[in-house]
Amino acid sequence: MTTQPSSRPIASSLRSTLYSLFPALYSLLSENPVIRKELRGRMRSRQGFFSLFFYLTTISLWTLLIYSLVAAEGSYARWDPDYRQNVGKAVFGTVVLLELTLVSLFGPILTSGAIASEREHQTFELLRTTLLSARSLVMGKLGSSLAFLFLLIFSVLPIQSIAFLLGGVGLAELLVSSLMLVVTAVFFCSLGLFFSSFMKRTTGATVASYATILLTHMFGGCVFLGLALTDTSLYSNTTPLDALYTNFLNIVLWTLFSTHPLSAAIFSEVVLVEEQNLFYTNVANNSSLIGSHTFYLPSPWIIFTLVYLLLAGILILLSVYFVKRPER
Amino acid sequence: MTPIVEIEGLSKKFGKRTAVDSLSLSIESGEIFGLVGPNGAGKTTTMRMLVTLLKPDKGEMRVGGYSVRKSPREVRRLLGFMPDTFGVYGDMTVWEYLDFFGACYKIPAPQRTALIRDLLELVDIAHRRDDTVDTLSRGLKQRLGLARVLIHDPSVLVLDEPASGLDPRARVEIRELLLEVARLGKTILFSSHILADVSELCTRVGIMEEGKLVALGTLDELGQRLTPHRLVRVAFLPTIEREEARAVLSRLPGVMEARRLDGLESADWPSLEIEFNGDDASLHRFLAAMLEQGLPVVRFSEETQNLEEVFLRATRGIVS
Repeated sequence: MTTQPSSRPIASSLRSTLYSLFPALYSLLSENPVIRKELRGRMRSRQGFFSLFFYLTTISLWTLLIYSLVAAEGSYARWDPDYRQNVGKAVFGTVVLLELTLVSLFGPILTSGAIASEREHQTFELLRTTLLSARSLVMGKLGSSLAFLFLLIFSVLPIQSIAFLLGGVGLAELLVSSLMLVVTAVFFCSLGLFFSSFMKRTTGATVASYATILLTHMFGGCVFLGLALTDTSLYSNTTPLDALYTNFLNIVLWTLFSTHPLSAAIFSEVVLVEEQNLFYTNVANNSSLIGSHTFYLPSPWIIFTLVYLLLAGILILLSVYFVKRPER
Repeated sequence: MTPIVEIEGLSKKFGKRTAVDSLSLSIESGEIFGLVGPNGAGKTTTMRMLVTLLKPDKGEMRVGGYSVRKSPREVRRLLGFMPDTFGVYGDMTVWEYLDFFGACYKIPAPQRTALIRDLLELVDIAHRRDDTVDTLSRGLKQRLGLARVLIHDPSVLVLDEPASGLDPRARVEIRELLLEVARLGKTILFSSHILADVSELCTRVGIMEEGKLVALGTLDELGQRLTPHRLVRVAFLPTIEREEARAVLSRLPGVMEARRLDGLESADWPSLEIEFNGDDASLHRFLAAMLEQGLPVVRFSEETQNLEEVFLRATRGIVS
């Protein structure tokens, strides 16, 4: 049921604005009691304040460091527009990569205790005997964690805006990086939530989440190494089979490479800068046997978005299943 | 009266251990039904299956005509469950706690305000509405739990050990509160180890042991069934030896057994507990016969059956 906003003037006008702009979001926030409860608890706690403080401090210090290093190298050319744009790109890139890293670390912290802590505090059974559906409980936990992560992401905008003052960063980069941040937040929150939904202890769920993240990073590193090692042999085609194999390997490695947030962000930028193309890249294969040909691969951010959203969807569905099933 | 809770052939196993074994039970609307039994008897398991938290292996349960298995949502609408452990959100105030659960039961926000105010008045914790839940004593938390259970106006309250761990005053207060709630027309199913609470509250009692319902009925019915003889307590002046009195009594008609009884009124009085078989007229003749035999009777009373006695008899031989 959608309730029309009322009560205090400022809150009322904010609610009216939210309702008129995003009716679905308003319904989610106003009708899901879990979101309101979680946000209220998080914003009251010291943990909420310190998370924000740590997040902003880390990004500010790193950005300052990168800015100082880049600016020091070319202090003689500070009025050169190209140089200023490079500094702008460096600042923007630093902020985005740091945000991707921190969001992937904060996401599981926020959600790995979401359901497990309800079990620990013996409130899970109380909730499961109410009319609150398993889906609402899971979406409420996810929504509140995402809302806090989005607060972290938006709070960095003033630091990010330094890059816009210097130039060199286009609207496409801003939109793609924002999308990747949102998708990263959704995926890593879903990962923590998934472990939380079937493990009885928050500690276990947190350890499992971080073990998975570590494996993901190690896997990303192996793929990077694999790409580097196989790169020299990629185009030494001697038979038609080799040429097909090379193409296949290209596609697999490109896809795997696109499934890591940092490498996907870096290579999306590379494709954008070098090929001036936001959506795809050309791969040329000069085979003497099957002839010279070019094929197209989607930009890493597209693969990343699709794969991570698909995985997040599966993890959310599994979480709902584990929350819903009665004990046996 | 129509049964609001119906349980038929309910069974549940955890591994090789049978927690609930072919349990059948019917509770009528407006009843206060007490489920008693030793630890591990299957009371909590039965309740958890009834409130949709645990999946039964066999059997059917219906609440208000709705199958627990097929229509859990409708059943949850009709039930209010208070587990034996009190789940708290420590950082919430009493008001927020009830408001949150009200929202979980889809009660519209404007209605919740008045409803929570009334509930806090009912359980008498309105003065603590802005305190965090963590700061409440166990007794007050239990009252808050009761308010939570009532928030969606359920027909049946399922309360697992509601008086467990409470001090005597809090126990009495919770007991009075439950009677107050029962007067509102609610059906109450509760389990307890405290037999005094059960005997003072319940209209009917079910005694469970090793997953089975070993006795069921009103306290009087159970008493008659499990202890068919009347229990009569007699005290004599110390001018007679206890054994001498017992020998005389054992010969009188209707006396099934005469046992030694200590501590009746005065330590000096030799006292006996007699299992007597007969109606009120026989009992009158028994008293007259004792006096005719010259026994110096100073006290003669019939004991009503208490739940403790009934419980011990119902579970005798199985509980070690």
